[in-house]
Amino acid sequence: SPTGDSWGIFTFLCAALCNLPALPALNCSEELGAGQSIQQTYDLTRYLEHQLRTLAGTYLNYLGPPFNEPDFNPPRLARAERVPSATVDLDLWRGLTDNARLAANYRAYSRLLCYLRVLDGQVGTAELRHRLAHFCASLQGLVLSIGGKMDDFWLLKELQTWLWRSAKDFNRLKKKVPPAVVTLRLEARGF
Amino acid sequence: MFSRWNWVACGFYLLLNICSPDASGGLVQSCGHIIPESPVLALGSNFTALCILNESCLDFGNIYANQIIWKIKNRLVPKEQYREINRTVSSVTFNDTSSLSTPLTCNILADGQIEQNIYGITVTVGLAPEKPKNLSCIVHQVSKLRYSMTCSWNPGRHTFLDTQFRLKYSWPQESFPDCIPKGVNNSCTVPDVQFFVNTEIWVEAANALGKAESDPLILDPVDIVKPLSPHNVSVSSGILPTVLKLSWENRISDAVMKLKFNIRYRIFGDPNWMEVPSEDTASPRTSFSVQGLRPYTEYVFSIRCMKEDGVGYWSDWSEEKTGITTEDKPSKGPPIWRIVDASHSPASWTVHLMWKALKPFEANGVILQYEVTVRDKSSLSSPLKKYNVTSTNYTLQLPNGTYEVTVIARNKVGTSPPSVLLIPASNSKAPVKNLITLPKHDKLWVGWTAPNSYVLKYVIEWCLVSSSADCIIEWQITPGDVQGIDLKGIKPFKCYLITVYPLYADGQGSGQSVKAYLKQDRPSKGPTVQTKKVGKAEAVLTWNHLTVDEQNGFIRNYTILYKTVDGNETVVTVDPSKTEYTLSSLSSDTLYTVRMMASTDNGSRSGPDFTFTTQKFGKGEIEAIVVPVCLAFLLIVLLGVLFCFNKRDLIKKHIWPIVPDPSKSNIAQWSPQVPAKHNFNSKDQMYPEGSFTDVSVVEVEADDKKSFSEQDLKPFDLLKKEKSTSEGHSSGIGGSSCMSSPRQSVSDSDEGETTQNTSSTVQYSTVVLNGYRDQTPVQVFSRSESTQPLLDSEERSEDHAGGGDSTAQRQQYFRQNGGQDETNTDRSCFERTKQITRANEGDLVGFVQLQISGQSSQPLGLGMEKNTQEAALSNVSQTSTEGQTMRPEAVEENPLSVDEMPKSYLPQTVRQGGYMPQ
Repeated sequence: SPTGDSWGIFTFLCAALCNLPALPALNCSEELGAGQSIQQTYDLTRYLEHQLRTLAGTYLNYLGPPFNEPDFNPPRLARAERVPSATVDLDLWRGLTDNARLAANYRAYSRLLCYLRVLDGQVGTAELRHRLAHFCASLQGLVLSIGGKMDDFWLLKELQTWLWRSAKDFNRLKKKVPPAVVTLRLEARGF
Repeated sequence: MFSRWNWVACGFYLLLNICSPDASGGLVQSCGHIIPESPVLALGSNFTALCILNESCLDFGNIYANQIIWKIKNRLVPKEQYREINRTVSSVTFNDTSSLSTPLTCNILADGQIEQNIYGITVTVGLAPEKPKNLSCIVHQVSKLRYSMTCSWNPGRHTFLDTQFRLKYSWPQESFPDCIPKGVNNSCTVPDVQFFVNTEIWVEAANALGKAESDPLILDPVDIVKPLSPHNVSVSSGILPTVLKLSWENRISDAVMKLKFNIRYRIFGDPNWMEVPSEDTASPRTSFSVQGLRPYTEYVFSIRCMKEDGVGYWSDWSEEKTGITTEDKPSKGPPIWRIVDASHSPASWTVHLMWKALKPFEANGVILQYEVTVRDKSSLSSPLKKYNVTSTNYTLQLPNGTYEVTVIARNKVGTSPPSVLLIPASNSKAPVKNLITLPKHDKLWVGWTAPNSYVLKYVIEWCLVSSSADCIIEWQITPGDVQGIDLKGIKPFKCYLITVYPLYADGQGSGQSVKAYLKQDRPSKGPTVQTKKVGKAEAVLTWNHLTVDEQNGFIRNYTILYKTVDGNETVVTVDPSKTEYTLSSLSSDTLYTVRMMASTDNGSRSGPDFTFTTQKFGKGEIEAIVVPVCLAFLLIVLLGVLFCFNKRDLIKKHIWPIVPDPSKSNIAQWSPQVPAKHNFNSKDQMYPEGSFTDVSVVEVEADDKKSFSEQDLKPFDLLKKEKSTSEGHSSGIGGSSCMSSPRQSVSDSDEGETTQNTSSTVQYSTVVLNGYRDQTPVQVFSRSESTQPLLDSEERSEDHAGGGDSTAQRQQYFRQNGGQDETNTDRSCFERTKQITRANEGDLVGFVQLQISGQSSQPLGLGMEKNTQEAALSNVSQTSTEGQTMRPEAVEENPLSVDEMPKSYLPQTVRQGGYMPQ
């Protein structure tokens, strides 16, 4: 049932977001430039957490009992199994490399966002829909933020590699060509 | 758009065809078209249009491109702008599109004259959009969870075209739907905004001629938030009377942003806000205790917030909330002062204590009562007197002495420190110096120099001086280190009496007073001037001072302006203390107009005109003329009298020549009709027989009285003369007035004695009587040789007198004279005596005898003598009434003659000029 899916997503999101402050990469604010960006992402996750708290409360109230009862724990259905689970052991999670954790985060948020967008159309009240839309947008921002950072990283990494390679190539070419033709070669470079 | 203009063009085409007078059926269908169709052109650019004719029309109507004419509206486009490209195409070129307007039509002259429309297009001219500038955005918090972003920009110049603005924003890998402004072109509101992701924002403007984009803004929307102000603000008073606790709720989550705050507050009723130092409220919180407030004061609070790091915007101020601090005990005692009234009895004072209610910030609560304590400092043993008062004044009856008065204010919490005032026996200490006042706008500044010794406080008393009301004292106390104060509530144009008393620790100094005006005006009326005294060349002017209510300022001087009717005005300035002034050097007997002007620093005003006329003569001038004239006259008269007196014998000789006395004649002695004669026999015998030798003709003129005096004077001279030359006049000039005749007769009798020796013959004369003032003489008779008729005539004259009215009146007149004027009678007696004395010179013995006989004789016998004496007396009396200069002599010389004054009756016939029988 869709309600079951939603529940699953929410529990996962809550669990995932609760673990967010533990992310070493996000907590790091030693370097000024990176710190600002990480701080912003950190603020965003806090903001999302805050949003979700009210959103989940509102939505569960919208669903009504028994879902809004504090200790209610419905069975996990097959669809909910597909929702990335954050219920991993905390020590195990910390034992993972940054790379693995970042990848896991990104993968989880991307998939959660997709499920959330499905949920969006099913929500009854306009206010809840608005909040959910806002939350989705914010979550999208988080995904983009994480993805953007990784993209930026790889962009720079690739650029660096390419430049390193190019430098090597040109160095090799430089040795082949006699010195008299250097000027000509420079002119040719201008094109 | 296109279709619309097409319709317009078609309509226009149809209209032209219908109106055409030569509408051939072949031309109804379109024969060509214009390229471009409905162009939108940039203002100022050039533009070329082509009109292309259909081949069918060429064949049908012999229409070629060289016949094409272009028109803008109904205005022909100059041929120079045309170009025939080929048989069917004509172009027109415009260098500046601003000369274009709609419609642009392609026409043809069919048959060389008739103009037919081929096609028309609409032309739109405008501008490409400018790049939007000054893009700025703000995120408004709409509710607890909703935020909207409003961006605004400068759209640039007007394009004359339909231009669309779009606000675009995006994340690096994600775009959001554009925000399209509604109704405006310079701002747009995005209803929902995401925080913590950098967002690129820009504006795109587009129209038919192009599009332009603004510079992008890249920001995290959380940095441009204007949060909602804190709400549910409440104020609660704490334990301390100077603290109020402020609580509120924030409407923005900590997860969105942390907040800092501004708290402002003011005393209720005071428009000026105070602010809590911002560093005290720079961290997230929901309450704050504001300290350093005044006890028992109502405060108004308001609060606002913004992002803690100061990036973004301040919220609006929250709603205002009020709170009252708790009471505290009064911070100071009430200022106290007194008025000592010693007028009722010298031994005791009525002391009016007065104090000012504490200001709210001093009272620190509701003052429940004042506690007044009076201690007699002169006797330590006397008990304290305590009074609880709820008003702010108290009147005490105290015996003379030195007292210490203490006033304490009490409220719910406690009592104030005491205010102490010494009521000394006298204000003997040093006063302040150099008391001055200076108006400052609507306040009057009072300044002074402190005395040398340490002053605790100063008391400034002031009151409005008015002639109509009492001076109601207002007062104020200042600390001892102040040397100036602004008095408020001072009315302009009113005189204030300001007194400053220094208060020392051991008493009070005497007051220094000054009168001051906040603002001066010219007096409300001028002085009324009057003259006190007017002389010939000067006038003393007097006036009253203006009342203090009329002065409106300090009277600096009076100005007296005076002038004659046609003369120049003379101006005199007078010291304001004067109320009198003497104008000098005035013209005599001249009308002067004088008025008076009182001047303050701010102007002057004249009183009413007053006129006076100077006198013709100066003081004492008349006296100076009259007195010398009188004195001169007196001197002349005196000299004349003296002269007369000296020459009296001579005069007598001339005026009263010696007339022989018939009574002394021998005939008289024998006359039986005069029995008195017989009594005088002894005396008569003294006279020798026939002594009367002279013959006199007496012409008596009973004229006005003046002549008498002159005539009277003459006899004296004559008599004098006669003394030396008696014989020269004996020839018979015995003429005299009838008045003097009796005396004359006396003289005559004397004379007679002298003449007796020379001649014994008596010559009778005829008496001619002139009437009084031309009246017919009453009696004229001649005297015969015999003496008898003389006696008869006397009797007759008496009879006559008894019958005549006029004579009776005269008799009365003489009698009155004799009775009323003692001196006259005295003198006359003296006169007579003198004459007698003089007669004695001639015939001393005889006269003495006569006198003796006169005194001792019987009334009957003396009758004759009496008559003669009285006649002389009346004569002299009359003279003396006219000229009194002779009188003093008479008084001095003969006091005893009073006894001798004859009382007998004078016969009236004397006046009538009747001859007096001897």
